[in-house]
Amino acid sequence: MKPPAATESSARETEETGLPFFRSWKSVYLFVLGSFVLWVALLIVLTKFFS
Amino acid sequence: MSALDFVVLIGSMLGIAIYGIWRTRGRRNLNAYLRGDGQTPWFAIGLSVMATQASAITFLSTPGQGYLGGLGFVQIYFGVPVALIIIAIFFLPIFRRWNVYTAYEFLGRRFDGKTRLLGAALFLVQRGLGAGLTIYAPAIVLTTVFGWPLNLTIICSGLLVIIYTVAGGSDAVTVTQKYQIGIIFAGMVTAFCLLLAKLPAGLNFTDTLALAGGFQKLNAVNFSTDIHERYTFWSGLLGGTFLMLSYFGTDQSQVQRYISGASLREGRLGLMFNAVCKIPMQFSILLLGVLIFVFYQFEQPPLLFNPASHQYLAQHVGSGQLEALESGFQKTHNQARQQIENWLDARHNGDEAGAKTAFAAAAAAQQQGEAIRAQAENTLAAANSGTTANDADYVFITFILQQLPHGVIGLLVAAFFAAALSSKSAELNALGSTTTIDFYRHLIKRDATDAKCVAASKWFTAFWGLVAIGFALYAHLAENLIQAVNILGSIFYGVMLGLFVVAFFIRRVGGTAVFWAALAAQSLVFVLYFNLTISYLWYPLVGCAACVFFSLMLQAILGGNSEMNKVRTI
Repeated sequence: MKPPAATESSARETEETGLPFFRSWKSVYLFVLGSFVLWVALLIVLTKFFS
Repeated sequence: MSALDFVVLIGSMLGIAIYGIWRTRGRRNLNAYLRGDGQTPWFAIGLSVMATQASAITFLSTPGQGYLGGLGFVQIYFGVPVALIIIAIFFLPIFRRWNVYTAYEFLGRRFDGKTRLLGAALFLVQRGLGAGLTIYAPAIVLTTVFGWPLNLTIICSGLLVIIYTVAGGSDAVTVTQKYQIGIIFAGMVTAFCLLLAKLPAGLNFTDTLALAGGFQKLNAVNFSTDIHERYTFWSGLLGGTFLMLSYFGTDQSQVQRYISGASLREGRLGLMFNAVCKIPMQFSILLLGVLIFVFYQFEQPPLLFNPASHQYLAQHVGSGQLEALESGFQKTHNQARQQIENWLDARHNGDEAGAKTAFAAAAAAQQQGEAIRAQAENTLAAANSGTTANDADYVFITFILQQLPHGVIGLLVAAFFAAALSSKSAELNALGSTTTIDFYRHLIKRDATDAKCVAASKWFTAFWGLVAIGFALYAHLAENLIQAVNILGSIFYGVMLGLFVVAFFIRRVGGTAVFWAALAAQSLVFVLYFNLTISYLWYPLVGCAACVFFSLMLQAILGGNSEMNKVRTI
């Protein structure tokens, strides 16, 4: 079975985030990864500082 | 529980269910029934994904895990952000482009009918077996504590979730989950605030953290490379990524949540909402347990939090032995408390040496208390053929009942039921959808109209709901089933993920190669499971890697041009 072709509108849908500070999905993913790294760093600080 | 608690509990549960039925009345179109007409906004998707994953036992047990083991459990969620990003980039756009109702329908189009059925069957076995647990697990805890009839609690909560899930389909699940998660958050935040207010007046927040840290309850990150240790940074990040990728990417109960988005953007943002919020949410729930631990340094905790275990000991072990254990436990607690108060005074007076000495004495007394608790648990296990107290499940509910005011008790019990119903409804919805789309429409009635498929989906959802109730009613006959079903999940997920990894990323592999590779990989995981003692978090990685490797090998042998092993592209 042939896969459905990607249309122009679906390509645009892939690109647009509709968010004020994050224009591309790449920046959204980087923000998510950044917040993850921040959380891990905070947890490491908590572990080291209070143990 | 008082009348006020019952009003809050029954009012909120029935109110949400009736609202869900009313809001989704007249859903007769298959797309609307299974995917909510593709109109769900990102925030609703985000909450729905969150509510589906967080079952009642998450909110009942996780504070207990924090109380007993500290923050280390949070590492299991380290894989969530990476997994959800991978799903947002690769899985979601392909599911949407193929316009599928179930993840396994995609496997059928990419490979062939037998691989689709294998994926769907793996899901039905694993999720169907676990179906009763989301009702049974909270019911057994709450009925033990409140003395309610267990079977009646299971039947009432089970029928309620069946009625609104059957009536409104996917939309009803999403609509009700929004309000259910609202109740859960309201309950947990209220408990957190009241707990903070209940800590002794002289204990500020830094003292609280220092006290918890001194008892090793704030060890959140462990970089050990020992694969036998269950929760480490590496098992969370590597094993956890595969586990979460399998769960969020291939389990229909989650896939159905995010493919219902109004656009790709809505689905992606819903997933990213969870990628950002999951770790802080689990951290907060664990921290709540750590704070309960600090609270019980100043209040006498019970020897065993599980009242049924305590009662069993009282009945089957000599009363003298239990009294000796209890008085010993009380004595060590009083000693620890006295030393903690000394530590606090010394700390506030800047006497570092005095603080150190007092804390060492407190830790020694506390350790003695833990030894007595362990002795009580061993006595229970010896008297009741290996039964454990499962104390982690009862820590939070004991604190709620003993320390929180009426009304708030009702709110928190409502939060536990809301969590049970929200994850149960998504599971039933997914089980009904998969049975309809991948078995009924694919195998039995290929020319079924939308109306017939909606009717079939309703029957199948009700069927799986009744299976869940039946399983929950008999679960007490085999307590170990709970553990068995959890293990089943971790050993099936890897191969399921392997099927999808091959489908998405290895274009030259055909249906027959991946089908037999999946069966071989599943057999390998079973063999390894029975012969190794590694953390269960590694099995999804092993299963996935084996499935991919065997697929490549078989593809090299079979080739891609035969009718039997036709290669299709995505």
